[in-house]
Amino acid sequence: MTAGGVSPARALRRALTDAQVSRARTTGAVLWGTAAIGSAVGLAATAAWMIAKAAGMPSPADLAIAAVVVRFFGVGRGLFRYLERLASHDVALRGVVALRVRVYERLASAPPSRVLPLSRGQVMARLGADIDAVGDAVVRGLIPTAVAVSVSGVAVTIAAITVPVAGAALAAWLLLAGLGTAALTRRSARVAASKGVTADALVTERSLAAIEAAPEHLVWGTQADAMDALANAETDSRAAHEAAARPAALAAAVQVLAAGGALITSIAIAVSQAFAGTIGPTTAAVVALLPLAAFEAVNAIPAAVQQLERSAAAARRIEELAPYDDAGQVPPPAEQRGNRGPASASAVRSAVTIEARELSAAWPQMAPTRPVSFVVAPGEVVAIVGPSGIGKTTLVATLAGALAPHGGEALIDGERASVAHLGAAIAVTAEDAHLFGTTVFENLRAARGDITEAQARDALATVGLAAWVETLPDGLDTLVGSGGGTVSGGERRRLLLARALLTRQPAHVIDEPGEHLDAAGREALRAVLARMREEGRTVVIVTHDLDLLDAADRTVSIGSVGSDA
Amino acid sequence: MRPVDPRLLARIGPARRYVIVTAALGLATAIIIGLQAFAISRALAPVLAPAPLTEDGLGWLGLAMPVAARDLSVALAWIGVLVALRVAITWVQERLAHRAGVDVIAALRARVVAHAARLGPRWVASGDGASITTTATRGLDGLLPYFVRYLPQLLLACTVTPLMLLVVLDLDWISAAIIGLTIPLVPIFMVLIGLLTQARSARHIEAMERLAARTLDLISGLPTLRALGRHLGPAARVRELGDRQRRATMGSLRIAFLSGMVLELLTTLAVALVAVTLGFRLVYGEVSIETALAVLVLAPEVYLPLRNVGTHFHASADGLAAADAAFAVLDTDPSRVGGSGPAPDLTGAAIVATGLTVATPDAARHAPHRLSFEARPGEVTALVGPNGDGKSTALLALMGLLAGDAGAVAARLSNGATVPLAEVDADAWARQCAWVPQRPDLGVEGRTMSLGQRERAALARAFESDRPVLVLDEPTAHLDSAARGDVVVRIRAAAAVGRTVIVASHEPALIGAADRVVEVLSSRAASG
Repeated sequence: MTAGGVSPARALRRALTDAQVSRARTTGAVLWGTAAIGSAVGLAATAAWMIAKAAGMPSPADLAIAAVVVRFFGVGRGLFRYLERLASHDVALRGVVALRVRVYERLASAPPSRVLPLSRGQVMARLGADIDAVGDAVVRGLIPTAVAVSVSGVAVTIAAITVPVAGAALAAWLLLAGLGTAALTRRSARVAASKGVTADALVTERSLAAIEAAPEHLVWGTQADAMDALANAETDSRAAHEAAARPAALAAAVQVLAAGGALITSIAIAVSQAFAGTIGPTTAAVVALLPLAAFEAVNAIPAAVQQLERSAAAARRIEELAPYDDAGQVPPPAEQRGNRGPASASAVRSAVTIEARELSAAWPQMAPTRPVSFVVAPGEVVAIVGPSGIGKTTLVATLAGALAPHGGEALIDGERASVAHLGAAIAVTAEDAHLFGTTVFENLRAARGDITEAQARDALATVGLAAWVETLPDGLDTLVGSGGGTVSGGERRRLLLARALLTRQPAHVIDEPGEHLDAAGREALRAVLARMREEGRTVVIVTHDLDLLDAADRTVSIGSVGSDA
Repeated sequence: MRPVDPRLLARIGPARRYVIVTAALGLATAIIIGLQAFAISRALAPVLAPAPLTEDGLGWLGLAMPVAARDLSVALAWIGVLVALRVAITWVQERLAHRAGVDVIAALRARVVAHAARLGPRWVASGDGASITTTATRGLDGLLPYFVRYLPQLLLACTVTPLMLLVVLDLDWISAAIIGLTIPLVPIFMVLIGLLTQARSARHIEAMERLAARTLDLISGLPTLRALGRHLGPAARVRELGDRQRRATMGSLRIAFLSGMVLELLTTLAVALVAVTLGFRLVYGEVSIETALAVLVLAPEVYLPLRNVGTHFHASADGLAAADAAFAVLDTDPSRVGGSGPAPDLTGAAIVATGLTVATPDAARHAPHRLSFEARPGEVTALVGPNGDGKSTALLALMGLLAGDAGAVAARLSNGATVPLAEVDADAWARQCAWVPQRPDLGVEGRTMSLGQRERAALARAFESDRPVLVLDEPTAHLDSAARGDVVVRIRAAAAVGRTVIVASHEPALIGAADRVVEVLSSRAASG
């Protein structure tokens, strides 16, 4: 696996490139941030100068300019900070949206074998939180760090111009507060932060499990197990948070120490030099009081480092879930908005022949299916039968090009079946095909985008759902729940058959259509197969329901070698 | 938005203890800050004063910081001790904050998840199941910044700010007046802007949950779209959903950050005004340099906690809104099915449905509609009928997992007594049923199995249990014909030992093996 060796830092850089984070916008945010905290430093310096000057009882006119500058800094801070926050969040949110799309595209073009095992809790915990974490790297990581560097530079310059040794001392304390806490935070938090994200993901998964299967847990008395599993995940999460919090607390203490130390050395230098007569009272006041304001920016460093570490771990997980092509190839861009046909619609042929030659199929570490040979011509329906668990679904994936054959050959119009055929020449209606949380009509349009309402109604009539749609409150525009939860098993299956009928691919594989079908459902399947045959399509159905075999032209029986299940 | 949700303090123990300790540490911090300002002014005053200092610029407060601190080494020693104390307090406070935050979140999450599980299968099926998980996980995690950042600053604002203001008042009433006039403006603006952000933040969470559910739905459907060659189109939809969320979020941030800006503007400008005023009054000798320095150092400290409260307000608003959603779940009453009486022993009992009617979640239909039958011990009773007419719902109602809208479920015991489900402990009733649902979950380990494997494991668990009532929902789905035959044999065997077997199925072999067949019908809900 390519992602195995990717360092988190590199993954974060790639993710930020993917997120198309704009340099110009980022620089703008850093400038606003520098102006904001720089205003606070400027306010402290000019106010100190003004008070010191005034103590010498000069003419009030001598204070006029300083008074204006002090007020300017007083207004500037709030204003510039507001602009910085808006600019940085805008940069990050844009990045998050872009990255979300890129990750979706990468998943969409990944081998089907990688996409299939994604469980719901994982997807939820990972893609949502991890992509947001990459966005947080900008707002809470990169921009505050850049602002800390530039503001510290300004403060040290002010001190060094007047008293070089004071500048050097301030720089040393700022370095302790910045680099020292950064190193401390990074060293201890690196493992802890990645553990924390993993532990939180487990908490999410266990929460989901405890809630979704609640009735089953209630009946079987396993609620306590589910809650214990959550509590265990929560304990791990607490330990990970502890480990991450300890260095954070230490860093906070070091910050207070550095700011206090800077105050002590500055006062010592300023007062002793002033008494020695090497500097005037105004300079002494500026040098002595500058540390009170100079540490604000650099105090953001530990949080920034922690954020960057968390974001990098998140970016690495994103890359593991949705790796880049080995060649670093960019996946094809998304279609323009609006629903069009499949990406390779131009390559769709009007009729294809499917052929298996001594074909056997297997996922890694699975017993292969018995080799079978058959040909399905356009206008034919072939049924593959065999006991459950024997690998019929695996054989289907191989026939459709989603999986390389274990032995023999799968051919589509004489070419070796490949991922390129799946969705172009051949479509699959899987046993557990997804019903989207949208309208009945949009669910049918998942087959292809240019379906008219009349075509949709015709397909629904074929599967015997015409009357059912009439009873729905909004007809075709009725929302069906997430995962199709509000339709019954039989309705769901027939909706999927209607969708299969509406696909434009010349070949279609329907997996295990006998399940959850009542008499009406079986009729629907027969009607769909008849229509597909009329249209000259090449159809394979996979079933263990022997009652359905009369709907097929031929039957192919499979069984794994040396097994009778 | 209330800055502290009283329910958090009232119901969650760690939250209460944390607030008390943090308030005490805040008080100590206030005293340290005051003393440090005095030490700074003592150290610098002799340098800046045009003539040797005669009066004590700190007045009676000088008792806390002796005049001896005008000597540089004494002042530095004082500051050194104060810095060391502050370092220690910072360490302790940070450690406590994290621990308390994590504990409170874990406690709240456990309660929400446990309660959500009690809200019943209809509630889980209605789709709230997905959004409550977002609330219980990512939403509640938003409480950590609330505990670690916001709450300590809020408590500092309640200790440091008033104490320092009193000190400034004693030193120089004009500076205190400037500060005193601006401070009331801060809460006024906070409340005004807070009122605006509250609705926005709630909407933001709602939008986030909706977007999460829809993006999740698209990704869950990715294998299906891939198989149909339609996998590239929804990227545009993902972008569109994301852009909508970005615009909504920026709109909310523009207002949320406004409160921060007004806060910083008011507080920083007030500090600038104090400095400028002090400068001009120093020129006329109206105030001593020692006093002026102490006030100049203290003025920003009065505002600092208020400013930090503003900075962390947005993060805390998200966390508190999530806590609010969590308490809303906790305050939702589960629909009670049974009553208070002890559940009867269902061994050898018949389960009797009389006119059982359940409305669909959209209330458009009744499925089942007026279902009446008796499932006897030692017999197999098959529920048949078209999909969607309420077979699975009827099974849930028979087990006491959901309440019917009309009709009743009862047990006729072996001694002839009839006990209505509505009068007894429904949980204890349900635990006497060996149930195999349509898509069994089997807990954490079940998630790695295929549908067929889960079905077989769930059936084995049901057959091997000693529960008197077997409730099987489409038990032969996902099984091959050999396994189907085995299921029929085992069902007959279960009836033969006197168990009450209720099966929902389309399988002709299974229906043929049943002792009685009951047709389940649905109807449109009567209008009005």
